[in-house]
Amino acid sequence: MTTYSKQDILLQAKGVCLSYGNKCILRDINFMIRDIVRPGLQQGQVVSLVGRSGIGKTQLFRVLSGLQKPSSGNIIIRERKPAETSGGVVQVWQERAVHTGDMGVIFQNYYQFTWRTVHQSLMLAARKNKLLAGREEEAIREYSFRFDIAEVLDHYPAQLSGGQQQRVSIIQQLLKGADFLLLDEPFSGLDVCVLDKVTELLLQVSLSDELKTLIIVSHDIATAAAISDTIFILGKEPGREGSTLVREIDLMERGLAWRADVRQERAFAEVLAEIKACL
Amino acid sequence: MFRPFEHIGRKNFLLMAGGQLLFALVAWQLSPGGLIPGPLRVLEALGQLLGSRLLIDNLLVSLLLTVKAMFYSILITLIFSYLSVVPFFAWTAKLLVRLRYLTLTGLIFIFTLLTKDGGALKLWLLVFGIVPFFTTSFLSVIARIPAQEYELCQTLGYSRWETLYEVIVVGKADQVFEIVRQNFSIAWMMITMVEGLCMGEGGIGTLLIKYNKYNDLPHVLALQVVVLGVGLFFDYLIGSLRRWLFPFIKK
Repeated sequence: MTTYSKQDILLQAKGVCLSYGNKCILRDINFMIRDIVRPGLQQGQVVSLVGRSGIGKTQLFRVLSGLQKPSSGNIIIRERKPAETSGGVVQVWQERAVHTGDMGVIFQNYYQFTWRTVHQSLMLAARKNKLLAGREEEAIREYSFRFDIAEVLDHYPAQLSGGQQQRVSIIQQLLKGADFLLLDEPFSGLDVCVLDKVTELLLQVSLSDELKTLIIVSHDIATAAAISDTIFILGKEPGREGSTLVREIDLMERGLAWRADVRQERAFAEVLAEIKACL
Repeated sequence: MFRPFEHIGRKNFLLMAGGQLLFALVAWQLSPGGLIPGPLRVLEALGQLLGSRLLIDNLLVSLLLTVKAMFYSILITLIFSYLSVVPFFAWTAKLLVRLRYLTLTGLIFIFTLLTKDGGALKLWLLVFGIVPFFTTSFLSVIARIPAQEYELCQTLGYSRWETLYEVIVVGKADQVFEIVRQNFSIAWMMITMVEGLCMGEGGIGTLLIKYNKYNDLPHVLALQVVVLGVGLFFDYLIGSLRRWLFPFIKK
């Protein structure tokens, strides 16, 4: 089994509820995402949030991104910030409630501004990243080569293929510099070949930084589970209004995380059956 | 050709449209029109107008006034439309939209009191007539903006003012041209009306009224052909300018 340990809390949902008028959509959502450390590796986190259509996944996605304020409860993020001490500058953990703009958000259809070229769109994001100040061009060039979109930098979104649009969306949010990347239904409407490329790309992103955390909201259970280390299942409890997290499945504990051939495993099929039973 | 939703090629369309136009002109020429002049007489009058400085001088006066009115109208429309997303100014934009139901008749005297000369009167009457239509069109563009456009800006960490600038000012700049193209016809239609109020400076409207006064229908219809031609030319010009300035719209 792969050696790993769960360290500091990176994100925590505390008693999140969301209601529209008298209608309860989300109820008492509590979970936390911890920094997973694997010796000798730069390992980020990949968390999936699965549930049936119409269960409130998108609402939770919006709450996590800060686009929607919860009716009660909050989403806390923890970041490592440099702080002056007598012994010099050290990295300390700071926690605060999530705000819009804290997380990189990749929408379902990989929406980009139709009036901006790929380069202009990426520059819009890079300019917001203080760590890139003065070397935005260099960063755009680096990412565009790494994700194979260098040839379409002067293209408009309408001229891009679905895969290219997706890569542009991901690079844009990476350039913004957020540790958290929220992806809404990233596997929706993709054919089998593109699906493999997408999962590969997401894994590549998760390995780019120790604190990089991908939160995937999807109803494609098998694909989401295959690349995740943790799965949260959003569902309903009998006799209670609103959706809540009904189960957390730790795939690391079961030896099913970070494995390219995981789909061939019998244990993986059992996990899928377990998830389906919860929906 | 006679079945609904049938697709026909451009060449066939032009042949069909040209044929129908030719048929209408021939029917017009052969019909016993009485006082209504036939197309050949209109063509003859058009030739006379094109051969004199009268048409070009008056046309330039009208065009200059239209362009000035369009410029001020766009400026006013954009200011109020951009600010319409700020609650404090939202009602002003909505009021401008409602003003399109007003008619200029009855307000002309008030405008005469408020302006210093005939030129200013014509200009501000035009602006007053155009702005409500421009604003209505642009506000509907703003209302149709998908929430995702604002949300993408927000997720990139843009402030509300930066979001307004990116999504509405920059993102909808091409739509401004489209609105100008669509509403140019209103301005061009109104020009003949306002020029009749102050005839000292001339203009194509003044010319029309003069020919109309003497029942010179061939020249009146010839001027209508010119008005239509200039309108179509500007429609094409603004459309081409939009495609050139905003290449993404044809991608």
